Order: sequence, then C-alpha cells, then structure tokens
Amino acid sequence: MHPGIYQCVMEWVPEGARVLDLGTGDGAFLERLVGARHIVAEGVEKNPELVARCIERGLVVHQGNIMEGLDQYGDQTFDYVTLLGTFQELISPVEIVREAFRVGRRVIIAYSNFAHFRVRLQIMLRGRTPVTPSLPQPWYRTTNLHFLSTLDFREFCRTIGVSETRHACFNSRGAVVFLPNLFAEEVVALLESAR
Amino acid sequence: MKDPPAGILQGDLQDQKIAGYHSPLGVTRTQSVTFRGVQVQSGFTFDQVDVAYQTLGTLSPRRDNAILVCQALSGTAHVAGLHPDTGRPGWWDFHVGPGKAIDTDKFFVVCSNVLGGCDGTTGPLSPCPETGKPYGMDFPPLTVRDMVEVQAKLIEHLGLSQLFTVIGGSMGGMQALSWAVHFPERVRVCVPIATCVSHNAMQIAFNEIGRRAIMTDPNWNGGNYTPDRRPNHGLAVARMVGHVTYLSEYAMARKFGRALQPPVNAADAEEALFAVESYLHHQGESFVSRFDPNSYLCLTKALDQFDLFEGKPPEEVLRRVKARFLVISFASDWLYPPAQSRELVRLLKRARVAATYINLETLYGHDSFLIQNPEFAKVLGHYLENEYGSGHRKDAAAAA
Repeated sequence: MHPGIYQCVMEWVPEGARVLDLGTGDGAFLERLVGARHIVAEGVEKNPELVARCIERGLVVHQGNIMEGLDQYGDQTFDYVTLLGTFQELISPVEIVREAFRVGRRVIIAYSNFAHFRVRLQIMLRGRTPVTPSLPQPWYRTTNLHFLSTLDFREFCRTIGVSETRHACFNSRGAVVFLPNLFAEEVVALLESAR
Repeated sequence: MKDPPAGILQGDLQDQKIAGYHSPLGVTRTQSVTFRGVQVQSGFTFDQVDVAYQTLGTLSPRRDNAILVCQALSGTAHVAGLHPDTGRPGWWDFHVGPGKAIDTDKFFVVCSNVLGGCDGTTGPLSPCPETGKPYGMDFPPLTVRDMVEVQAKLIEHLGLSQLFTVIGGSMGGMQALSWAVHFPERVRVCVPIATCVSHNAMQIAFNEIGRRAIMTDPNWNGGNYTPDRRPNHGLAVARMVGHVTYLSEYAMARKFGRALQPPVNAADAEEALFAVESYLHHQGESFVSRFDPNSYLCLTKALDQFDLFEGKPPEEVLRRVKARFLVISFASDWLYPPAQSRELVRLLKRARVAATYINLETLYGHDSFLIQNPEFAKVLGHYLENEYGSGHRKDAAAAA
C-alpha cells in the first residue's frame, strides 16, 4: 500500500482516539499508530500466525473473520474503524461498512482505483485483464473480489447513506489532485454517517 | 500438513514417564498451610482447611510479579520442576520454568492444589475432625468459587495484595475467570485457556459417565470405601473416557493409528491390544494410583455446576472486571470448543474489557495446553512479557 495512505490515517486519527483496525495483518501499522497517536487500539485478524505477531507487538487483537460480523463489539465502542488493506476482498462490503458504523463513529477505508489510466489502457489496447503496481496479481491469483473506481466509491457512499468528509489520492509519484479518477492508483477516504 | 514438532506427540506430563526428562528447575518442593474456619457457598464450615502449594521464582521488591497458576481437574500443586520423591516433572513443566512461557526468572509463580482435591489440600479423603475418618460423601458440595476463595487466603498468607496474572486451562480457566470477577482489584491480567463460562450438555454428559463408572463400582460402597477396597475400576474407566475427550481424532490417529501393542510374553500373542487400548489402560491405572475417586466426583460436580455469572446478566457481572484478558482456545478442542471461548470473548468485549483472543491451530485437542506446544508458548510468553512491561511503563508515567 502507498505510504501516503498510512500518513493520512496518522493525521486524521486524533490523539487518544479509540480505534478498531479490521484486517490488521501483522499489526505493524497499528503498532506505529499506537506509538504516534497514543490511541486505544484493537485489531481484528483471521490468520492465527498474524494474530500471534500482533500479540508479540503488545497489541490487543481479536482472531476473527470480519465477514462474520463484529458481534463481539457493542454499539459505538470506537471513534474510528479502519479498513486499510481488505476492502476489495470483502464479499459483502455494504454489510461490513454498516457494521463498522454500528461499532464506530467514523470509518476510514483504503482501496485501489480501477479507473486509473494504465488499467484503462491495458483493457482497451491489449484486451487483457490489467496488472499494475496497485493491482499486482493476475486474475487467477488476486484476492480482490470487487473492482471499483473513485466515482464508484462515491456512489457507494451515497447509496448506503454515508458521506466522505476527507479523502486523499496517490500514485507512484505521490499525491494526486488533478483528475484523480484517471491518475490515482490508491485512495483513502474518511467516512461519516450522514445521519 | 506440516510435521508436528518433535515431542508434541509425547503428550502431557501427568501420567507417563518421559525417559531422560530434564527440568531446569531441578527438584521443587510443595509446602502446606492451614486455615481455620473456612465457610463454603453451600453453608458448610470447615474447622480447618490444609492447602498444599508450590512457589517458584522470586517475588520482586515491588511485589508486582506474582502469577497464580490454577490447576485443571487432574492437576496438583506440583506445577513444575521434579518431585522430590518420585523424580517426576510437574504437570506444567513444559511451560513453567526459567526462560519458558511463564518465566520463573521474571515471575513469582504460585500453584496450589484445589479445595476438594487429593494432593495435600483438604478434600474428601482428608479426615473429618469429628470422626477421624475420611469425609467421603460427607464432604460438602463445592463450587469453583469456593476453590478460588481458598486460593485468595493463600495469596494473603503469602503477603500479596495483587496478582500480576491468574492463568489456567480447562477447570483452571474457570478459576481464573472467577478470580477476575470476584476479586477485580487483585487481578491485573487473566488468561483463561480452553475453558468456558458454564458447561454445555455434552460436557456434563461426559462427566456423568465418569461419575456413574465410579458409583456403580461395587467397591464404591456409597463413598465409604477403604484403601484396600477402592472403586479402582470405576475411576480407571472414568479417566479413560476423560482422556479420549482430551485428545483429537488427529492426535489419536497420529499417535496410535491401528498399531498393535507387542504382548509382554509370547503366550499372550493372541490377545494383542491395539496401542490405543494399551495406552488408555495405562492412563487409567496410573490415574488410580494418584487420585481419589470421591475427589473426582466432587470436582466434576463443581465443574458441571459452574456458572461464572451465577444467574445474573453477564454484562452486569463483567462490568466490575478490571483485568486485561488473553483468551486462548484450540481449533481441535472438541470438549471445550472454540465457540465457547468466542462467546466468553464476546461477553467481555461487550462489557468493554480489553481482551485479546487467539484460536491456535494446534491439532491435539483439549490437551493442547498441557503438551509441548511452541506456538502456544510463544504467544503466552510474549503476552505476559508485554503486559508486565507496559504495567511498569504506566507506573513510571504515573510517578513522573
């Protein structure tokens, strides 16, 4: 993932916030976030070997599959729920984002932009399923289930009734401001419930 | 599938000899203390309760490094090191000792035999003061909370106002949970392993098979048996059934398969046993030599009656908990299945208790915490080290 995304999350999450990180992996980023922002953090990870790595780092971690819901957490337990490496791999993103908003007040989601110009060119000119730095695996090996663009993501937010209050776009050269749906490879967005 | 690490198939340390076993702790001794006038939940008051216990490692000057290890059903106070009489290692010697998961170079470890047990602590085999004969069936029904109340007396006797950690597997996990609920100010960290907040029908059913085996043994005699006429067959059958529930199909296939045990003399060749049969016979016989049948009845009843919440709403009970939790289950444990640990974790988190949960993929069933288990040891060791370290950092910050 683009380092700029981690940087954004570090800036967006205030000191002392309660944060739930979904798909926390080996906990490396969450450990940095705890150290930098003194947050009260918890990770959810399904792979026991990665859960063990999180425990080694001294993180509070829950071994579980976020696809099965977040029933172990009460309503509005967290200030922020982050989904940084897994959004496109979720079978039912609508349900999971709804669950995230049940247990937390704000949700931060990172995703890859499928409308990047290199993706468009590969499909249009070569007639092949795209393989790019942010979509590095061929179709038969990718864990992504969903392919979306920044425009799609905004529509998704409208559909489920949440608003994107901040976002940042990146490609291999750095931050993208001009025509992000064409030039951004990776995007991170801060969502708040429109209610 | 990966090959298991060497030694994992040896099983636990309780009822078998492992040739050339080395314990870095050397010989460890068990001590005893007597408490007067101990009342239990049933209303019965013991004139005296003896408690057998062991301490390992050194208490820190700040008295903040004590770990109470709670025994499982068949455990004893002899948790680690070699027994002075038998030379056998303690039941958790794989995980308690210098440099091990529960590191006796860092922590002061306390383990006691539970009330109702039969390894030095008052139990059904102890003499009743009025008659001078064993209590037998006059021994009052016990609860897990009664066991914990007696442990609390021991902890006070040792001059400890707080425990860094209370840890235990199975019945020990129930004790650890009771500590966190009933002594919230005295527990910083709670580690319940392969346990539950109350038994389900299947768990009660297996215990009842064991109890019926003992009580239908003609020697049981309403609980008034004598040392030379004990219900040994019943107790052995109870242990055999129990042992099967502690293993997994994989562990049994891997360890025994359909292998035959070579007969001791050639004349018995026709009656060759499957290795698993021979193993269970041995487990039963070994258990009979060290366990009291009435104690088995008393403790399994306490397990079946256990309800962490004592009929109250879980959230109300867990809201007073101050400890941080590490909950460990094993994917292959069908006696205390991971779903029970997940339910415990859900209730803890709903009550806003900081709880880490890991479901280890160890393939050896309920016994996975008693055997050599590097993944388990690694997780437990890191967790205790981090929690102890972060406690120190917080204390330092508060002092600054």
